[in-house]
Amino acid sequence: MTEYRTEEYQINMGPHHPSTHGVCRLLLTMDGEKVIKVEPYIGYLHRSIEKICENRTYQMCIPILDRFEYVTAMSCNYVFSLASERLAAIEVPERAEYLRVIMLELNRIASHLIFFGTTAMDIGALTPFLYALREREMIMDLFEMTCGQRLTYNYIRIGGVSKDIQEEFIPKCREAIKIIDDKVEEYKRLLNGNPIWKARTIGVGKLDPDLAIAYGASGPILRASGVSYDLRRDDPYSIYDRFDYNIPTYKNGDVYDRYMIRLDEIQESCKIVSQALDSMPEGEIQAKVRPRFMPPEGEVYTRIENSRGEMGVYLRSNGTNKPLRLKARGGSYAHLQLLPEISTNCLIADLVAIFASFDIIMPEIDR
Amino acid sequence: MTRDELKTYLDSNYSDKIRPLDTGRYDLIYEINAENLFSFAKAIAEDENLKFDYICNIGGSDTGENLEAVYSVASVSKKLRLDFKVILPYENPEIESVQKVWKGANWHEREMWELFGINIKNHNDLKCFLLPEDWNQGHPMRKDWDAPDFVRFPEL
Amino acid sequence: MGLIKKVPVYSEKIPGGGIICTSLEQVLHFGQAKSLWYLLFGTACCAIELMCTGASRYDFDRLGMMFRATPRQSDLIIAAGTITKKMAPRLRKLYDQMAEPRYVIAMGGCTIKGGPFYYDCYSVEKGIDHIVPVDIYIPGCPPRPESLLEGCLKLQDKIQKQKLSDWQEK
Repeated sequence: MTEYRTEEYQINMGPHHPSTHGVCRLLLTMDGEKVIKVEPYIGYLHRSIEKICENRTYQMCIPILDRFEYVTAMSCNYVFSLASERLAAIEVPERAEYLRVIMLELNRIASHLIFFGTTAMDIGALTPFLYALREREMIMDLFEMTCGQRLTYNYIRIGGVSKDIQEEFIPKCREAIKIIDDKVEEYKRLLNGNPIWKARTIGVGKLDPDLAIAYGASGPILRASGVSYDLRRDDPYSIYDRFDYNIPTYKNGDVYDRYMIRLDEIQESCKIVSQALDSMPEGEIQAKVRPRFMPPEGEVYTRIENSRGEMGVYLRSNGTNKPLRLKARGGSYAHLQLLPEISTNCLIADLVAIFASFDIIMPEIDR
Repeated sequence: MTRDELKTYLDSNYSDKIRPLDTGRYDLIYEINAENLFSFAKAIAEDENLKFDYICNIGGSDTGENLEAVYSVASVSKKLRLDFKVILPYENPEIESVQKVWKGANWHEREMWELFGINIKNHNDLKCFLLPEDWNQGHPMRKDWDAPDFVRFPEL
Repeated sequence: MGLIKKVPVYSEKIPGGGIICTSLEQVLHFGQAKSLWYLLFGTACCAIELMCTGASRYDFDRLGMMFRATPRQSDLIIAAGTITKKMAPRLRKLYDQMAEPRYVIAMGGCTIKGGPFYYDCYSVEKGIDHIVPVDIYIPGCPPRPESLLEGCLKLQDKIQKQKLSDWQEK
């Protein structure tokens, strides 16, 4: 019996790759089909957003921060507005808070629909992509009706929101979330029992909860590993304590749980939106803020629960109308550090599935 | 533990290492010397009453007079939040890595080194991160940085 | 037979059968324009709008355009998203790997002149036309799917007006 000599080789899963969800380079050291080591290289989308914001007024920073994480641009607007309001101790009117919650939750649904479509496409199922984007178009219509834009909204401003909703928003919104709620049940029937889907996702990429906390992982990834930590309940902001919703938590921490938890979160967000539409009061949509907004000197780190985890902004002001330092941190920053830890000794097809289940967006990491 | 209880606990147990600042507008913020950084970080991560095991953010900052490194940490089980910062001079700024306490601090410190020039001791992987591989124009996030093709926004 | 109506006919049909005479240029360019296969090259926000244009509501497939994952099989790059200085050599490499005839659409403000990242930005290439030769520019931040479809239709017109001698070795 001859002895075969094998050796390891390196492959570039380069910046341009259909399944790297943006521009991320992974240098893989492989032995046959098995991955031994993964090394991520980033910086291909470093647009120096932080340097730009140091030379803009506070209101001008909001459209720049839209491009920080464009899939959930409402959250980016919101976290910056919340940080500025905490610096200057501004109180936001009630109707504006309800409108903000509705827009944030609709954006969470849209983001999870993109996750569903692209993850299924990476694992090989091409139909869910078209189904998910068809449902997402209904939400895009609602956003376009309110603020005029489909992707980068510039809607949530310091002290409130920029425009009130129109009359046909409420019935259209109710119809949209009813359709999406039913369609999520259809998506579960489409994929959950499929033996190929189960073989490729159950037991793949298990994440230990202590490792996740040590790296700073948050959001659906942490909750799929068994740690029930949601900033809407544990570090409360806005009016989320008035609504009745569950926070789904799964135990195994594999790709299947990370996929199921996001489908459940879509249904919980639908509940929040319908409760907010029922109880929204009339009133002002914007607090009185000076056009030349100059908060007092101070610093604050604000964090909210985004669909990808914790999104945080460290804002430092020196009393002028431009921020002294703005550092933005997205949830994917910690998750990409986790990828080398949990993908040793897996097959390369599993690596694609794990990467897709983390739902990483590169501009959050590169800024 | 509420915010005031946290403040009294930290002031009574760790007052030899940290000094309170009054610039925080929502959470507590303290100042610490570069020498005490690693021991303080290890202590609050292992303290049974605090258990700060989750690193939110490490941000470098250039205030015009000195450099700063601001650490934001949280506790998952006790639902607490804390900020603390180290103030560094412009010449040879150096701090110790807190990777052994919070593993997620790895990339935050690499970014601080690359963009601000703050040297990190005992870091296992300090190399080019966000900027192109052949970048030789200095540390761009400092306030006095300039380059020939860098266009400033015109004053309004 | 819709195809026969579109291609200009330069001679009469012979009775009993259908033969048309036209020029090779017309037929080749007609074939190229109506089935452009584009490379999936999306870096930033415009990539999401590119995905939406290829999805259910605004369909790319009705124009004959399909996405391909490799540059060897595609004849169009839609450069969607900001190109940074670190990414620019990779874009040039992908462009060089495509076979001729090949076309480039610059989608979004960032690829035209830097977009919102023109001022105070140390790492963004302000426009891609000094990296690859661009055929069509589509402004917007991000441009709507209808704008992208209009840009592709204009590219189809441009291809059909080309001459064969443009692609010959000089």
